[in-house]
Amino acid sequence: MNYCPDEVMEHVFDFITSHKDRNAVSLVCKSWYQIERSSRQKVFIGNCYAISPERVIERFPELKSLTLKGKPHFADFNLVPHDWGGFVYPWIEALANHRVGLEELRLKRMVVSDESLELLSKSFVNFKSLVLVSCEGFTTDGLAAIAANCRYLRELDLQENEVEDHKGHWISCFPESCTSLVSLNFACLKGEINLTALERLVARSPNLKSLRLNRAVPLEALQRILMRAPQLVDLGTGSFLHDPASEAYSKLKATLLKCNSIRTLSGFLEVSPRCLPAIYTVCQNLTSLNLSYAPGIHGNDMIKLIQHCRKLERLWILDCIGDKGLGVVASTCKELQELRVFPSDPYGVGNAAVTEEGLVAISAGCPKLHSLLYFCQQMTNAALITVAKNCSNFTRFRLCILDPTKPDPVTLQPLDEGFGAIVQSCKRLRRLSLSGLLTDQVFLYIGMYAEQLEMLSIAFAGDSDKGMLYVLNGCKNLRKLEIRDSPFGNKALSDDVGKYETMRSLWMSSCEVTLEGCKALAKNMPRLNVEIINEDDEVAPSSDDRQIVGKMYLYRTLVGPRKDAPWYVEIL
Amino acid sequence: MGRATSCSSSSIESSTELRKDLSTDLRLGLSISSSSQHDNSSFSRIRDQPSDWPPIKPLLRKALEAEENESNSATFFVKVYMEGIPIGRKLDLLAHDGYHDLITTLDHMFNTSILWSDVDGSYSDQKYHVLTYEDKEGDWMMVGDVPWEMFLSTVRRLKITRA
Repeated sequence: MNYCPDEVMEHVFDFITSHKDRNAVSLVCKSWYQIERSSRQKVFIGNCYAISPERVIERFPELKSLTLKGKPHFADFNLVPHDWGGFVYPWIEALANHRVGLEELRLKRMVVSDESLELLSKSFVNFKSLVLVSCEGFTTDGLAAIAANCRYLRELDLQENEVEDHKGHWISCFPESCTSLVSLNFACLKGEINLTALERLVARSPNLKSLRLNRAVPLEALQRILMRAPQLVDLGTGSFLHDPASEAYSKLKATLLKCNSIRTLSGFLEVSPRCLPAIYTVCQNLTSLNLSYAPGIHGNDMIKLIQHCRKLERLWILDCIGDKGLGVVASTCKELQELRVFPSDPYGVGNAAVTEEGLVAISAGCPKLHSLLYFCQQMTNAALITVAKNCSNFTRFRLCILDPTKPDPVTLQPLDEGFGAIVQSCKRLRRLSLSGLLTDQVFLYIGMYAEQLEMLSIAFAGDSDKGMLYVLNGCKNLRKLEIRDSPFGNKALSDDVGKYETMRSLWMSSCEVTLEGCKALAKNMPRLNVEIINEDDEVAPSSDDRQIVGKMYLYRTLVGPRKDAPWYVEIL
Repeated sequence: MGRATSCSSSSIESSTELRKDLSTDLRLGLSISSSSQHDNSSFSRIRDQPSDWPPIKPLLRKALEAEENESNSATFFVKVYMEGIPIGRKLDLLAHDGYHDLITTLDHMFNTSILWSDVDGSYSDQKYHVLTYEDKEGDWMMVGDVPWEMFLSTVRRLKITRA
């Protein structure tokens, strides 16, 4: 290592792009740490409270692209109050104050105010890319600032954010000189959009490859837009409602014939199923299809559509496709790698739901499948064992039975053996979500076999502390553990406190951990923040230590307790 | 917590006085406020819907709820008269899938056989009726010529006439 000049090492490090690898490189020796840090441009911060913006900026002077994650994953399911934290403003302020040459910002589960967006838009001359996933706190006024001020904007990607819509004026804020757009996604916006401004924007964006529209864009406008952008690779339709006998529909059909670069398709936020044949030609080349926001498409229409999609690698769909429909997927989509089946009827007993049959069919028909999210009516051990035999490549396996404590309906047994087979067979499994009636036994299997497991989600499972202990003691690569409504208490929590410094975070809600247990843990571990979230309690937080804690979130951090927590969050 | 059966002693002994009532555990864990007589082990329809189960994103939940509301609560009642009978009936067009469904209902409602544009008029021996509708422009048209959705957007009332 002494024989290689720094410039050579830096050149070698240029080829190392994954942040995990770069983190490893920086630990080898002081010299490599220095070379690595002075050349790293892309930084990933998995928990915005684990470190301060100032320290990130200081360590990485060439910072150009920053990814930040805020709230814990269960915030996606309304388990974390909206103002719990994850504010991006201090980060943007620090980046601006230190004159960082920021070009790209990717945020997930953070609170983004209009002020932050405005500051962002005015502080970084070369800013190119803004990606917001599951964020909240901003309105279309903030988007207007981004549109107006980011002269070289290439990407504005809004995925599933909760945005207060002040109507369509923001799209008119892109100046005539803005011709650099490559990706524009505003599907999650609920309000009206200025269609003329949108069409003109598309017309002057020759590099536009990805466009996802919202519900307010009607079919006629879609046709005009596609005329201007036949080069699109990724399309999200807005409204797909029309009379199939109309001229507008025929025009659209003809225009779509010219769009032979489309590989990713989504949207259909409102749809007349009889208009779907217009996209059959596009389907032939699709590698990715997302119909999870299209509840207007029913089983048979879905099946007819899928039959045209022979090259599909990723499919996100609603469960009204049924087991029969999944059978069609299994026989048609031989290249399938990722499947997500969402519940179309979240509260009903689900006549529409899928069962273990659909999953077994998929596992038999799709040899390349490695990523699964499956909401279903029921599951059996036999089915899971078969799936494990058919598909040992799973890296992500997430099952959710709509009735979360349902046993195997055939044998009335817990699903321990089924999940046991999955973890034993899938040696590369990194993410797992359990469901159904489960005892401590399943955790024994997980601890024993799931060596690569990084994230585990548990709900309504287990009998005792032993369950949680099997996992904490067994899974060496565990980074995130989230548990709800399971009988794990202080004994499991406090057994190996050092473990939590090797993990990003632990979430436990409606379990049996008491305030006393949390306090003891926090006392011994200064590099962990142990947060108790008490929004419902009228009782003052620290009154009775024997009290069971409603929600606890703990995470490792280098910067101590945060100062922006709301009144109902107690940091021990 | 959710299982009444095999709870080991270590989890029960820890804070028995402060444990929540087992029979309502599942619902409390789901942040449902009111008590309900429903079976704990099934998540069938209840008035206070849990917003944290099943675990889907709020945006998706809203999109699915909106679709359900639209398909459940949308109605479109029109008046239907039969020639010679002064008192008319009312019919929800949106409760029907299409023309065939509509004709079936009308056949039953008025106890007759109704002809529309899909059926060829070779029933000259039998008594039959013809179904017409008044459109937005006030013209009386034969039912069945235009696609169902277009019909729905233009129909104002129906009339069953003797041919």
